[in-house]
Amino acid sequence: MSECTYIDAIREGLHAVMEEHEEVIMFGQDVGAFGGAFKASKGLQEAFGEKRVFDTPICESAMIGSAIGMATQGLRPIVELQFVDFGTTAIHQILNNAGTFHYRYGVPVPMTLRAPCGGGFGGGPCHSEELEAIFCHMPGIKVVYPAFPADARALLKAAVLDNSPVIFLENKYLYRHLKEKLPDKPETLRLGSARVCRTGRDIAILTYGAMVTESLDAATLVSEEFGYEATVVDMRTLKPYDTDTILSAVSIANRVLVVHEGWRTCGFGAELAAFVSEHAFHMLDAPVRRLTAPDTPVPFSPILEKRYRPNAQNIRQAIIDLVEY
Amino acid sequence: MTDTEISNMKAEESPGAETPCQLPDAEICERLLRTMLSSRSAEERLIRLYHQGQIQGGVFVGIGQEAIGAAATACAAEQDIFAPLIRNMSVHVGRGQTMLNIFRQWLTRSTGPTRGRDGNVHHGCLEKGVYGMISHLGAMISVATGAVMARRHQGIDSVGFAFIGDGGTSTGDFHEATNFAAVFDVPIVIIIENNRFAYSTPTSKQYRCDQLIDRAVGYGIEGISVDGNDVIALHDVFQKTVQTIRTQPRPVLIECHTMRMRGHGEHDDFSYVPAELITEFKDKDPIARAKSRFMDGGIMTAEDIDALAKACLEEIDDAYQQALKDPTPDPETLLDGVYADE
Repeated sequence: MSECTYIDAIREGLHAVMEEHEEVIMFGQDVGAFGGAFKASKGLQEAFGEKRVFDTPICESAMIGSAIGMATQGLRPIVELQFVDFGTTAIHQILNNAGTFHYRYGVPVPMTLRAPCGGGFGGGPCHSEELEAIFCHMPGIKVVYPAFPADARALLKAAVLDNSPVIFLENKYLYRHLKEKLPDKPETLRLGSARVCRTGRDIAILTYGAMVTESLDAATLVSEEFGYEATVVDMRTLKPYDTDTILSAVSIANRVLVVHEGWRTCGFGAELAAFVSEHAFHMLDAPVRRLTAPDTPVPFSPILEKRYRPNAQNIRQAIIDLVEY
Repeated sequence: MTDTEISNMKAEESPGAETPCQLPDAEICERLLRTMLSSRSAEERLIRLYHQGQIQGGVFVGIGQEAIGAAATACAAEQDIFAPLIRNMSVHVGRGQTMLNIFRQWLTRSTGPTRGRDGNVHHGCLEKGVYGMISHLGAMISVATGAVMARRHQGIDSVGFAFIGDGGTSTGDFHEATNFAAVFDVPIVIIIENNRFAYSTPTSKQYRCDQLIDRAVGYGIEGISVDGNDVIALHDVFQKTVQTIRTQPRPVLIECHTMRMRGHGEHDDFSYVPAELITEFKDKDPIARAKSRFMDGGIMTAEDIDALAKACLEEIDDAYQQALKDPTPDPETLLDGVYADE
């Protein structure tokens, strides 16, 4: 078992699911011989041929529209959006076409949109967005967002083999910043299950994506400094999300901090906070608190982006504030 | 020059006024006429039901444009893919959707193709290769393209037919999908039904090229112009095109010149359409022209045609009456089927 980066785990996951299922094909901009903008598909065209792994023109709507056509004819297409930010040019294909298809016609649409997202690398307003809340708002769409390499590999397989359209969000900062030893045999995961990464009785942090490791770092800090022990829940699937694990965590910790890298207003954290308020109000010792990016475009300057993006230090402070509320 | 004058000018200059094509086999002629008559009668019934208040929402018809879908479906094979739009009743009929299912759909019955989850023109039948539309124009061209690609990937020699209007050609989706199909040599007939108006907007405010097939050269594909009210000419063009691209895969753009004879929907009095344009196209009615050609050609007699029309009407009566008896959706099923595998 060697250490594997998040991006390598995704590539392994793609390779494995394509090897096991010949109905899986993959396409997008520069994903063929070039191997993708982030090299997620490096070597895949060589392994599976140009009929199963191919480049497309720059046309997100036609890419997603054609994937709907393919998915309804027995294939399981994987579309790589070069950046999730560009998926907004094809929102109608996701929202109105893919998301409504099974409800309208009773025909499954097993397609996966892989979408690199998030900031922390100086990408600026058009290459760093976190758009999970937009996708979570859409009926009929599942949204998956792994935080660790092993989960990325396992969840990718689960997403591709799911019979509904899945947005598979990949955090670009994690691509090469996070390494993990992968089990030889990939874990079998189902969509919709969260992972409790750390348990503690003082506070429950509900988070996902790149904020999971930041939250774990913050939890270590407050444990060492103050003896405060945090539960950290990695949601892993944002839609449908794991309500049982949330309620279980809240029932022990009685304080809830929601952390995410996306915008605050109508962010996915608002959904989690509302869920906790509706279903676990009687178990709370303090108001639910959110720590998110502010409602600004993602700034380009590293100085500004550092202030924009939540990190272990301000999560640490939020934990202290909430535990001492 | 006013918009009306421009519209008139284009009407007079529309190509394909003469029809040199020979009549196809009698069986095909009868099929073409039956599809058109059936579609026309169904839509005339829907208009009446609309004014009686029996239809939920609007009624949108393709009266005067039936020849295009009738000819396209007559040239298609079982394994082919269709993406019809709002004015393509004749695609559904020509593809073998039952009149019963069509009336179930329009009456929002739980037994219909969308089980009350979508309405009116938004239906299809994947067993017959027909995709139901979304309202975002141009979006279905890439869906049909992908469906054909999948079938070809599986070794099936499928051809696609995607429909778009003059207004729909202005969308980014039209461009993306046409270019995409061209790059991958996907055998799909992209059929532009140029009916001169996108809701109230005349073609003079929709595009600046002389004719929409001028764009074909920009995609590196062939463009063909045809009289959209001449079912024989249409059949000839579609048949030759489909025969070619089934074995030498590539997209083709076909512009069918026609006229929208009603409002955008039945709520629309289309007072913005010059009366002379309607008059002109009444004389070019595709069903009337087909009837006279078939009679002149000795294919059908007036009695044959009357019998066919009567049979179509009876089928519509039966379908309507049965659909009325069918159940409406159970509110308890509201949440069902958002995801597959539930």
